[in-house]
Amino acid sequence: MIPEMTEILERISTCVELGKVDIKSPYPPAMKGQEGAFELTRLALDEGVSPGDILEKALIPAMSRVGQKFSRNEIFVPQMLMAAKAMSSSMTHIKPFYLSGETKRRGTFIIGTVKGDLHDIGKNLVSMMIEGSGWEIVDLGVDVSTEKFIEAVEKHPGSVVGLSALLTTTMENMRKSVEVLKNRFPAMKILVGGAPVTEEFCRKIGADFYSPDPQGAVEYLRTLT
Amino acid sequence: MRLSYRYSELLPSVDALAGVMGYLPGTAPEPVTDLIAGLSEELMTTGEARAEYTIFDHVKLDPLSKTVEVEGVVFHVKPIVFSQIKNAESVALFICTAGSEVDELSRKSMKEGDLLRGYVYDVIGSEVAEGAADRMQESMKTAVASSGMSITNRFSPGYCGWDVAEQHKLFTFFRENYCGITLTDSALMDPVKSVSGMIGIGSRVKYSPYRCHQCDDKNCIYRGKKNR
Repeated sequence: MIPEMTEILERISTCVELGKVDIKSPYPPAMKGQEGAFELTRLALDEGVSPGDILEKALIPAMSRVGQKFSRNEIFVPQMLMAAKAMSSSMTHIKPFYLSGETKRRGTFIIGTVKGDLHDIGKNLVSMMIEGSGWEIVDLGVDVSTEKFIEAVEKHPGSVVGLSALLTTTMENMRKSVEVLKNRFPAMKILVGGAPVTEEFCRKIGADFYSPDPQGAVEYLRTLT
Repeated sequence: MRLSYRYSELLPSVDALAGVMGYLPGTAPEPVTDLIAGLSEELMTTGEARAEYTIFDHVKLDPLSKTVEVEGVVFHVKPIVFSQIKNAESVALFICTAGSEVDELSRKSMKEGDLLRGYVYDVIGSEVAEGAADRMQESMKTAVASSGMSITNRFSPGYCGWDVAEQHKLFTFFRENYCGITLTDSALMDPVKSVSGMIGIGSRVKYSPYRCHQCDDKNCIYRGKKNR
């Protein structure tokens, strides 16, 4: 890859990591008035950089660094959300290539907050981080019944499923959903998360993976592809 | 007793809200502090939090079953809560909410893809609900002090081993529901930014600074928050 291409990928990566969405974004102050992830991605594509390279060499490494910083408590949820917004602005240019089949996703990740639970911030954070690592996200929202998860899995064969819960009462619904999903799709991997969920609970209900933070989920999914 | 508070009375400072998000004073990025300031300003004029409590004088506390019986309704509060309430002569049951507006704004922002804005509304809602509960508790403390009584900390179903499903029992005492809170089958309050629970009252009870180590929920999202 020619140096100019490498440089533009590095710039996109930096913009995503720091949450520099576009030229109008005043943050970070040192980059005020400069092009952001949105413009640089368009520029990269126009210059002939492949969407796959933008994803693999700019967006995924940036979101990975963001996830690692979050795990180490160097940044907090707001900065993670800012980075995700910058990534999304870049993805607006990449998504058409997914639709045309020119660029491949790593897989499909179906996610939802379990039946009876209306909390969605944790779920949204995990969705964004996983999307940033190259997966297609099917977000079923909150208060998701087991039947709705089943329908989504049937519609997206080979997908991985993530279930979120924030209440001890809805952890029971998580257990029921995992049980039914595992019976119906034994080979399918299921990730669980949420404040009251633990590694022990994950094992007990027969789910495949638990992580206390989004980066753990991203790293686990990487081992599946 | 029914109480209402303007958001302007309850909203913490920008630094304090940033602190809840994890930032040390002065370290939150400018877009975050600007957004907190902007949304706080927006809610300050319109937002209203409500609280309601009722004091019950004839309660039965059973040290064997660790239960509190109020007008025939038995609450299985479990050992941690019972140990704090066991000397109470009366108990207060309460509900409290930051209202539906902040919930709706948070959900709407999330739905529109502005996750940061949705998150900031969410944090503001949590802090306002807790702030309203603090104010309600202060008011109760003052009300009972004239008769030489003290109050305990507030305890909520879902914490310290007390089954969250007991919310359903608690809400039978608030049929008129001044706060406008409804419960889902899974005992989730709607608006989500609401607090409910029990407070012990008596001459031999005391309020302790919150101690997370008393609680056995090691994964609680509020763990250590009051001690930071």
